[in-house]
Amino acid sequence: MSGTTVPIALGVPRSDRAGAIAYFARRNPRMIIGGALVLMWILVAIFAPWVAPYDPKSVNVTDALLPPSGTHLLGTDDLGRDMLSRVIWGSRVSLSVGVISVSIGFFVGVSIGLAAGYLGGTFDLLMMRVIDALLAFPALVLAIAITSALGPQIQNAMIAIGIVAIPAYARLTRGQVLAIRARDFIVAARTIGSPPLRIVLRHIFPNILNALIVQATLSTAFAILAEAALSFLGLGPQPPDPSWGQDISYSQRYLANLKWWMSVSPGVAIFSAVFAFNFLGDALRDALDPRLRRSA
Amino acid sequence: MITYVLRRLLLMIPVAFLVTIGVFALVRLSPADPALAFAGEERDPAMLAAIRKEMGLDQPLPVQYVAWLTHVLQGDLGRSFQTRQRVVEAIVERIPATLELGAAALLISVTLAISVGILSAIKRNSLVDLTASGVTLAGVSFPNFFLGILLILLFAYVIPGKIFPPGGYVPITQDLGDNLRRLVLPAVTLATASLAVNLRQVRSSLLDVFGLDYMRTARAKGLRERTVISRHALKNALIPVVTLIGIQIGAIIEGAFITETIFLWPGIGRLAVTAIPSGDFPVVQGVVLVSAFSFMLTTLFVDVLYAWLDPRISYGNATG
Repeated sequence: MSGTTVPIALGVPRSDRAGAIAYFARRNPRMIIGGALVLMWILVAIFAPWVAPYDPKSVNVTDALLPPSGTHLLGTDDLGRDMLSRVIWGSRVSLSVGVISVSIGFFVGVSIGLAAGYLGGTFDLLMMRVIDALLAFPALVLAIAITSALGPQIQNAMIAIGIVAIPAYARLTRGQVLAIRARDFIVAARTIGSPPLRIVLRHIFPNILNALIVQATLSTAFAILAEAALSFLGLGPQPPDPSWGQDISYSQRYLANLKWWMSVSPGVAIFSAVFAFNFLGDALRDALDPRLRRSA
Repeated sequence: MITYVLRRLLLMIPVAFLVTIGVFALVRLSPADPALAFAGEERDPAMLAAIRKEMGLDQPLPVQYVAWLTHVLQGDLGRSFQTRQRVVEAIVERIPATLELGAAALLISVTLAISVGILSAIKRNSLVDLTASGVTLAGVSFPNFFLGILLILLFAYVIPGKIFPPGGYVPITQDLGDNLRRLVLPAVTLATASLAVNLRQVRSSLLDVFGLDYMRTARAKGLRERTVISRHALKNALIPVVTLIGIQIGAIIEGAFITETIFLWPGIGRLAVTAIPSGDFPVVQGVVLVSAFSFMLTTLFVDVLYAWLDPRISYGNATG
């Protein structure tokens, strides 16, 4: 044997992000279950026109209120519309609200947090009071108020949920920035004359990205739940467009007739989508940010 | 302690000020015209202009804000466009129903969370613990309006005997029994939203305490397990739960909007929700303002309570 062989430690987690995820996926079935469910809903949403057996809006009164069967797997509603197709198309609404509102919250919140944490001083003080004011409203009440002021439309629901998500990102980012801005490598970057924007984007941001990814996953779950709640109250997409929350609200009038499938189908869809993102978020937190790991 | 409370109150002032600006801006920046909503069927331009002038909508925004804030500080939230009733009156009329529902939900949530949380922390990995963990996991993702509908389906229609009615409200003073019977389903629905989080908190803070030295000391000196848990563990483990209850107040306020809508419960949440489609801004604005201030004050109260319960909490910064 030549003496140049380098011993390799097997099973030691690699330090890169993808490696950390892969390492935990093997030891953490939650990541796989959550991830698979998330992936399934994303695929369903993208391929809705091909996956859905019927047109979600086509009215067919002769097939009204049919219970689940071979032809209509999740039954039909009072206008004979196929519930499975409505659930499938509804996923587009929920997921797009999730993605867009989380992007709004992420972009605005992280920018505020980075600037406030790095600049400090009066800007920090002012911004944090604005964030406190946003947090003074119960989240859903604020979303309801904003959507009702802007008008009941899906775009407005996205904006409202996005605004509600800002404080979480701003606070998380600011806290992380404060924790690392005094570290040696930041001081070094400043000493060699890096401009503040470069320091924030190249040195600070990559270091807090893990925590932000976890937050983004968990807030997608919140966004889907909030969109469903807004739609339930009539503040989301308007009929006849399919939307999970609105379909549940609509089904209420048939509860007394025991047409349970009209409520249960969209309800289970909301639950499984929210559950998937929560589950994945929790698993990602364990994988990417062990400091945040909960004892529960 | 007094300095801490004063400091917190002082810090609340700019936030409260921003909240009022936010609530005011919500309505004034809305694309819908309040004068049109107020006028109802009236479409005569001269009439609309007169209404705008009367409502002060022709003034610059800062002037409108100051006028509005002055009225709010005097307890005047305007009048409903729909019923012409004073908004404060409408809210005060509906607050007892909301409080009753909120208190019942909080009671159910806290009692269940503490008792089941203790059981599952003591008997870790037992059937109770696993079931509780499952409920916790599912509970945070379960939309409470869906739960409400499932409960109505089960208890009002499927299970013979129609144990609980699907909705509606009877004042306590009129018929206590019927009031309570109608309270059960909405209270359980509302409680479940916060139950999952509370349960998780009780369990994990108890488990944290179980690992501490004084617990070992208590056991080592031969105390009975019951005493160790009730006298030593619980007292310390429940402190974080106090904060959590404060946070849950927010969940209960927002849950009330939905739960009251499902169960036709005549509280302030339903008042706002029914006002939205007709563009009855003063009502929505009033309810949102009242919700935000109740939430802010309960959060403050809980923080103070927390600082009082746990002397280790520093009262803000060292100079504070």
